[in-house]
Amino acid sequence: MKKVTLDHVALLAAFAVLCVLPFVATGYVLYVVNLLMVFVVLALGMHVVIGECGQFALSHTAFYGIGIYTAGLINATWHPPFVVSIIAGGLLSAAIGYLIGFLALRMRDIYLALATFAFGEAMQWVFLNWEGVTGGSNGMRLQPADFFGLKLTNDLQAYPFVIALTALMLWLTVAISRSQFGSALRAVRESDVAATAMGINARAMKQAAFAISGAFAGVAGGMYTLFVSFIHPESLGFQTTILVLTMVVVGGIGSVRGAVAGAIFFGIISELLRQALSLQEIIYGAILMGFMMFKPRGLFADRKRRVARPVPQDGLGGGAMKGSRA
Amino acid sequence: MSDAAAKPFLDVQGITVRFGGLTAVNDLSFQVQKGTIHALIGPNGAGKSTTFNCISRYYQPTAGRIVLDGHDVSDARANRMAGLGVARTFQNLELFGELSVYENVLLGCYSHSANTLKRLLRRPDGEVRDLVDSLIERVGLTHDRNTLARELDFGHQKLLELARALALKPRLLLLDEPAAGLRNRDIESLDQLLTELAARDGITVLLVEHVMQLVMSISDRITVMSFGQKIAEGTPEEVGKDPRVIEAYLGKGAAND
Amino acid sequence: MTLSDISLFLQQGVLSGLSTGSVYALLAIAIVSVFKTTDVPNFAQGEIFMAGGYIALVLLAAGVSYAAVIPLTLVAVGAITALFQRVVMERVTSSKGVGVQFVIATLGLAYAIKGLVRQTGLGDTPRSLPALVSSDAVPIGDAVLTRLDIAIFVAAVVVMVLIYLMFTYTRIGKAMRAVGMNPRAAQIVGIRLSRIRMLVWAMSGVISAIAALLITPKVLVTPDIAHIAILAYAAAIVGGFTSLPGAVIGGLVIGVVENLVGLFISTNAIVVAPFLAILVTLIVRPQGLLGGKVQVKKV
Repeated sequence: MKKVTLDHVALLAAFAVLCVLPFVATGYVLYVVNLLMVFVVLALGMHVVIGECGQFALSHTAFYGIGIYTAGLINATWHPPFVVSIIAGGLLSAAIGYLIGFLALRMRDIYLALATFAFGEAMQWVFLNWEGVTGGSNGMRLQPADFFGLKLTNDLQAYPFVIALTALMLWLTVAISRSQFGSALRAVRESDVAATAMGINARAMKQAAFAISGAFAGVAGGMYTLFVSFIHPESLGFQTTILVLTMVVVGGIGSVRGAVAGAIFFGIISELLRQALSLQEIIYGAILMGFMMFKPRGLFADRKRRVARPVPQDGLGGGAMKGSRA
Repeated sequence: MSDAAAKPFLDVQGITVRFGGLTAVNDLSFQVQKGTIHALIGPNGAGKSTTFNCISRYYQPTAGRIVLDGHDVSDARANRMAGLGVARTFQNLELFGELSVYENVLLGCYSHSANTLKRLLRRPDGEVRDLVDSLIERVGLTHDRNTLARELDFGHQKLLELARALALKPRLLLLDEPAAGLRNRDIESLDQLLTELAARDGITVLLVEHVMQLVMSISDRITVMSFGQKIAEGTPEEVGKDPRVIEAYLGKGAAND
Repeated sequence: MTLSDISLFLQQGVLSGLSTGSVYALLAIAIVSVFKTTDVPNFAQGEIFMAGGYIALVLLAAGVSYAAVIPLTLVAVGAITALFQRVVMERVTSSKGVGVQFVIATLGLAYAIKGLVRQTGLGDTPRSLPALVSSDAVPIGDAVLTRLDIAIFVAAVVVMVLIYLMFTYTRIGKAMRAVGMNPRAAQIVGIRLSRIRMLVWAMSGVISAIAALLITPKVLVTPDIAHIAILAYAAAIVGGFTSLPGAVIGGLVIGVVENLVGLFISTNAIVVAPFLAILVTLIVRPQGLLGGKVQVKKV
């Protein structure tokens, strides 16, 4: 059980670093850390639906957006403690996520991916056109969040709350993963036919996974409103979903550590590349291809496999994001 | 050979299954007594798997009833069957590929807990872990305990599926071609295991099977299907001599030999 | 809106739609043929199409005659895609990658192409490719098409026929279909999988380049034209994601619908129309128009 100890050490070290950071780092660094935490929560949400349950939901950013706008609007209208706005955003995203989960009952793999992708893009179009609510293509100002009298006006002030929320969502993810519910999600991922034979309600599991990942994305959106003052729908499209998907895949699909590591790693890379404007896309593309070519299973491949006997070299085209053609 | 006195454990009553214009199963009825081994045989396309899938509730029969231990389960949802003590294996193997042998069998214990939210949040306790390990040992996969299911060889995968089914603590065990692809040695082990399950553990076994050596050896009764209908039923001896059965398998000429 | 307005819009929408739709159809064929043979949905399809446009621009800027630019562009794009399959995708396969990892690799290609195009500096302003056919108006019924529109449609149809003939009658075409149906069996009968995969990727690149050369004289060349991929995917899905004839029908349908939506509803609605088409198709009739029976998992 060495891995458990390593996790604890890593968490402790991370906690120590995070505590010291506000005293030594610039506002920009704190902003980046806050942003990384948002990515971590987004990646954890995607981990639950894709990594644990195997449902390719590419609608993730839609729920992120719903979380942002809900929290932002509630905050602007009633100024409650931010926890209320964030929870509201999370619940609304969970509810809509649950509805979108119906798609998973009708299709799988590439078809589910395309359908959820289409929904996500349609949602971005809604964000862009529903001027009354989202400000449309003018974007929307996000007012400083309120915490029982304290107004969060900069990255430093938002920082401890962002960290706390991230820790909470991380704890939730691990709890889900280790529970029988998590086992049931994984069973559905591997074979929903067999899962049914075990007594698992596969349909309910899929929808629950969608709802939970929607909630995570919604909370991430709420977290975002704590330290950012403006949101424009152009950052709420497929690009962001793909970024989060990449984080999860490069981190290691099916692994909580992978989702966290992937989020931090790719969050940093995409922020760094933003500086190296001209070559950023080429480098980014090369990194993606490189990882898939040499470490496709990711940094933290889900398990240490004890191979009983040599696995035959398949090389038969990588079998699919298999379609509904069985 | 009347079993009318004892109430059957599984009572299939006149089920008919139609897919569009095709009638896969036509008014099929048979009964399985508790603690016996019952085989469903017949040439390919006879409707055996369809019947099987109806009993395990993956398909909905167009007509007829399925009665389990006196309860009508004809409308039960497929995932309710585990809680009712019905476990099954699959013709094309439905293992949890990326999970280990241990985790696969452990999932068989999912239905043990009462149907509450607490069950979902709890982690498996010692008693469950012991059951899983004992089942893994019973099928001889102890040294592969942590191997991923998809990395096992075929014969071991079949054993794993069986162990997982047994983890449900089933009263009725539905086996879909358990001997397919097994070597003779393994078929003999399977023979022993199944006989033991029925005799010692009192589990009722219904199997669909093509491997006649196994069918004839372990079955208490056999139902023969052809083109969706029952054409014969009885003990292995009776069925083996039935000219209709011979004809169904080997054609008209053979029946007259 | 009067009845004659409706009639005019319908005619115009359908005819213009058939022309642009034929280009979507070509791209849909590119997507579907790669998917059928290698099981990978190519998420770089739009960027490959865009690359075709920019490669042609670069060659023209370098003084190459248009007559040479056309074949050179086709070869260049085909080479890029073939190389991608041979170098990147084969490596992902041998590293035991599966499904989603192949998709991410295609995303890497998309970014790389985007970045390379940006390096050329040509993307800063919209540019155009010279048209081989004039834009003279040709009235058809109440509607008006340009000679270019008609030429696009005809050329696209010719390409589609050639592709159909290739898939049906040539050994390579049959090999591609075989690999798509059952790679293991194809391998056993002596088909070299890596070679066939490379060829199908090359073919999809060439088709994309043809599509680019056909439509960019009419539409300006900008980095945004990569968004055509959405319409191509919608076309493939509506037609039935595993059907090549379906991709053709789907392309034409999407082209027509896009134009009709623009005429009858608004130009803004055009943006969201393909997404709705995808959602509706997958929910109501997932196998699309020609996708055959939805295969239920055999229990």
